[in-house]
Amino acid sequence: MQLHIEAVTKQYATVTAVHQVSFQIDSGEIFALLGPNGAGKSSIIRMLVGMTKPDSGQIRIHWQDKTFNEVPRRLLGYLPEDRGLYGDKSIEKNLLFLAQLHGMSKADALREMDHWLGVFELSDRRHEDLKQLSKGNQQKVQLIAAVLHKPALVILDEPFSGLDPINQEKVVEFLKQLKQSGMTVLLSAHQMAMVEKLADRMVLMAKGEVVLAGSLADIRQQAKPEQQILLRSETPLPVDWLQALPEVTSLEQQAAGQALIRLKAEAQVAPVLRQLLERIEPEQIAMQTPDLHQLYLQAMAKHQSRAKLEVVA
Amino acid sequence: MISRQSLIVARWEFLRFFKWKQQLISYLVMIAVMGGVFAWVYLTDESRSVYRVAVPAELRIQNTDQFEFQRPSIELSQQLQQLREQQTWHAVLAPDGEDWVLHTQSSSKWLSQLEQELQRFFRQQKAIAFGLDAQQLAELEHPVTLQRQFLAEDFKGEDTPEKMIAFAVLILLLIGLSTAFGQILMSITGEKQQRVTEQLYAILTPQQWMDGKVLGHSFSALKAMLTTSLIMLVFYLVVSLFAREGLDLSWLNGWVILWLIPFALAGLLLCACFMGAIAASIDDPNTSGKGAVMMVTWLPLLFTWLVIDSPTGWAMTLLSWLPLTSFVAMPVKMSMVEVPWWQLSLSLALLLATLYWMRRLGGRIFLRGMQMYGKEPSWGEIIRWSLSRKVD
Repeated sequence: MQLHIEAVTKQYATVTAVHQVSFQIDSGEIFALLGPNGAGKSSIIRMLVGMTKPDSGQIRIHWQDKTFNEVPRRLLGYLPEDRGLYGDKSIEKNLLFLAQLHGMSKADALREMDHWLGVFELSDRRHEDLKQLSKGNQQKVQLIAAVLHKPALVILDEPFSGLDPINQEKVVEFLKQLKQSGMTVLLSAHQMAMVEKLADRMVLMAKGEVVLAGSLADIRQQAKPEQQILLRSETPLPVDWLQALPEVTSLEQQAAGQALIRLKAEAQVAPVLRQLLERIEPEQIAMQTPDLHQLYLQAMAKHQSRAKLEVVA
Repeated sequence: MISRQSLIVARWEFLRFFKWKQQLISYLVMIAVMGGVFAWVYLTDESRSVYRVAVPAELRIQNTDQFEFQRPSIELSQQLQQLREQQTWHAVLAPDGEDWVLHTQSSSKWLSQLEQELQRFFRQQKAIAFGLDAQQLAELEHPVTLQRQFLAEDFKGEDTPEKMIAFAVLILLLIGLSTAFGQILMSITGEKQQRVTEQLYAILTPQQWMDGKVLGHSFSALKAMLTTSLIMLVFYLVVSLFAREGLDLSWLNGWVILWLIPFALAGLLLCACFMGAIAASIDDPNTSGKGAVMMVTWLPLLFTWLVIDSPTGWAMTLLSWLPLTSFVAMPVKMSMVEVPWWQLSLSLALLLATLYWMRRLGGRIFLRGMQMYGKEPSWGEIIRWSLSRKVD
């Protein structure tokens, strides 16, 4: 299954939720939509599911030589942002009901249920009412409900929210299993550390627009992050002298003898290091690579300052 | 027409509210309450006791099963003293000029029966004073009989057994609609509050979802109606046994019942679709005023009830043709007058067409309500959607 989102725009009464967004999701990959609340992630997902239509642009879903404007229900496993199940019914009854609606036989549904309940360590609680489970366990049941019928595409809106770190890791493993079994996974999240571990490609969104897109390596390249040098010395650092260096953009003093020095993106590191070593006797000197979280924050900051400039202009 | 998924939803909805143990307990409680009421009425029935009444010596009133009239020789003040001390008398009758005074300890139910006996006695005394004999008095007390003769050939009569069916139809539909009202409101708004709806939307079309809901809750309503019918039948059986009469069900008119079933079924589904549409437009039942609108479905019952004694009048004719009321009015009308089969067929066809439109409307409102994400649609928007043809 391939998903093509081309210049899609969606406007609600007073807000442009999605503006000229384009990206492509390939078969069998894990694709992440990243962004803060209100970035437009759920709006895109709702258009893919068919709950709403784009005002302009196009969504094309290719599946076995056929093209659709939204993901066909029979191929979809969906965990909405706004989610819940029947609290007064047992885990088994809830899952069986949804699986049968997806067209599964009772026997197949029970067999798949055994597998996934085992994965999430819920096998011995299958006859308990859903309302008796913790929020995290209810979330796990909903994840199972989204994949029980082996859909071609799984869309998970904020699958990590409400989970503790241990269960977040379990969801990461769960998503890897989905990928191994050949499912295409689209997820939205703001837990960058989780996404970094498993997403093949991603788009970073802000206020309805794509800020960065591609694999983690692509994003690093696109973001052109500032180079950072961590410097530690036994003697206090000459802060004024460091800040006055022409390649340095900013300096974050973490202790009297420790600072994080940010260089211009295009700066040559070697001459800067030579200058430092001539003046300072370092105990530690290290280059720092920004993680996805930092890249995201930098990209967001750039996007916001650009937006402000546009407003002023 | 109805998809497999809709049937799965219908089964789910039906079983969600089918709690047979609780239902059995509620029936037992109802029987116990009815038994308690009957026992209380029996125990407090004063007509089975005999009451002694002191009357002046000149009044020669004959005793009845309930009242024993005595003419004591003691003074009135002594009689009243005995009455006060709750000895000898339950009541004392004494003259007061041209009137009479009935003295008792306090008000009682049997007093009105005693007053009737005394009035009858005084009427007889006056008749004798006027020189009337017993036969003349009897004729005065029983005026001529006025009989009603109806010339319309299609009118089955005023108090025919079929009229019982008409009343039973009204009661059963009221029970069915009340059941559907409560369940549909709770199920649809509850699903929204439990936030299941968006997940279901990814599996089912809005129409499949609405069809399933309507069917499931209509089955529940039918079940309630059937159970009530059985209870009514058992009650009738018990009464017949106590009255030492054989069980006579010959008054059950097969032709009426044959037509009654499709009308009642279609009406129930129509009302369930309407209730579903309104419930789908409610975001939060605690703050929305729309829930009360679902009670509009009870109006056909009320309107029909108000004209039940004029089954051939223009009002009943109008109600029996209007698709929104015909499901009640036509079965009631046909149980009291002969209605040609083509009129029944046409009225049913109109009802079915309206049911189809209402079903589509329910699906449309559910879809649009979903797309508003927590904002409740206005009545204007609902009317606009109901007139549009767009489904997805």
